Amino acid sequence: MSKKEKLVIIGGSAGGPSAAARAKRFNPDLEVIMFEQGQFVSYGS
Amino acid sequence: MVRTPQQFKEMQDIEVKTEHQVTKIDPKEKKFEVVNLSKSETQGFSYDQLIIATGARSRRLNIPGNDSKNIFTLKDLQDSIHIKNYIDEKRPKRVAVLGGGFIGLEMCEAFRLRNMETYLFCRRDLPAGNLEKEISEKILKELEENDVHFLAYHEPVAFKLNSNGEVTSIETNKAHFPTDMVLMAVGVIPNVEIAREAGVELGQTGAIRTDTAQKTNLADIHVAGDCCEVFNLVSQDWVHTPLGDIANKQGRVAGENAAGGRATFLGIVGSAAFKVFELEVAFTGLGTQAAQRYGFNVGSQVIEAESKVGYMPGAKRIVVKLIFDRKNGRLLGAQMAGKEGVARRINSLAVALHQKMTINEIARLDFAYAPPFSAPLDPILIAAEQAAKKIIK
Repeated sequence: MSKKEKLVIIGGSAGGPSAAARAKRFNPDLEVIMFEQGQFVSYGS
Repeated sequence: MVRTPQQFKEMQDIEVKTEHQVTKIDPKEKKFEVVNLSKSETQGFSYDQLIIATGARSRRLNIPGNDSKNIFTLKDLQDSIHIKNYIDEKRPKRVAVLGGGFIGLEMCEAFRLRNMETYLFCRRDLPAGNLEKEISEKILKELEENDVHFLAYHEPVAFKLNSNGEVTSIETNKAHFPTDMVLMAVGVIPNVEIAREAGVELGQTGAIRTDTAQKTNLADIHVAGDCCEVFNLVSQDWVHTPLGDIANKQGRVAGENAAGGRATFLGIVGSAAFKVFELEVAFTGLGTQAAQRYGFNVGSQVIEAESKVGYMPGAKRIVVKLIFDRKNGRLLGAQMAGKEGVARRINSLAVALHQKMTINEIARLDFAYAPPFSAPLDPILIAAEQAAKKIIK
């Protein structure tokens, strides 16, 4: 079995979470991982 | 608004690592380095597709004492928690707000709600200096009615500190003002450093260059949000407009394309709204000066009209300014201010800008009318009717 394709997102405020959600919906087989330097995610929108 | 990493995992199967800072990207090997900030550990990972959504950070004035602990900036939730905690603990009586943009203006309202003496320092003659004079004058009046002290043409040059390292006064090019805390609201800088070091190209504005597919110049790296540029459909220029609604749209496109799709985000017209005390302010498109800079033959029209039929409760006077090309009548921008019916009203003109409509077309638009909502001739239609007279025949 081939390894899952991995999408990495740097930043978890507004653009990052929107990108993560859309990517996962478009291709549910994608492995999605998002890195955020602060304590909170999805705070800037 | 705020969601937890657990919610992302459970609802969408997205893994989220907070307090993890990506410090280095190697696009050749498709690898990157992450520092776990809580443990100060560095780890290496690989990617197949990468999306850079590093956002922007608050700009700080480069003057002596600018990193004192009672100087605050406001960009994210953490910043607002710091500000609130400081006020709760120290009960500052007086605050100096530096910068008359919408963060500074919104915070003037917040500080007055806490009954603090609020001083707003501005480089220019009026608050929201990027907007048209007629709009900025309404904002100034609203500030004054709510006891905000507005100080025009003040350029901060230094902060005076006490032995605890706290600001006790602020020195400007004109005078000295004692203060208990400072909010610095002088704009943002895109976070482009790790991208630039990896070879990602920046645009003229200093933000990351992109296209309508949210690609960068490097393969398998997309970009979204405040760290990148966006295309302005009115000026036909790539600009840096760091706003959350744009970031969300760019994010969707970057996400879809990173997952193998072919989505596009064609651009913005430049719409935004904010509230200062009771006053709603909204704008879309270009202002007079920007439109002139882009070489348009600029005309403008200002009117004041009732937000709904005058005898209805809650009717308020609103000011509407239209900016247009006198040569062909095309709308270039619109700005409004008033205590009711402003923020939503601007959206119809945002649509007009997307559709490159002319003043004459706008004057005949079929807007919904009933006394509780509008007037038989909506303020936009009145303004367009007046503006039409200025188009070169």
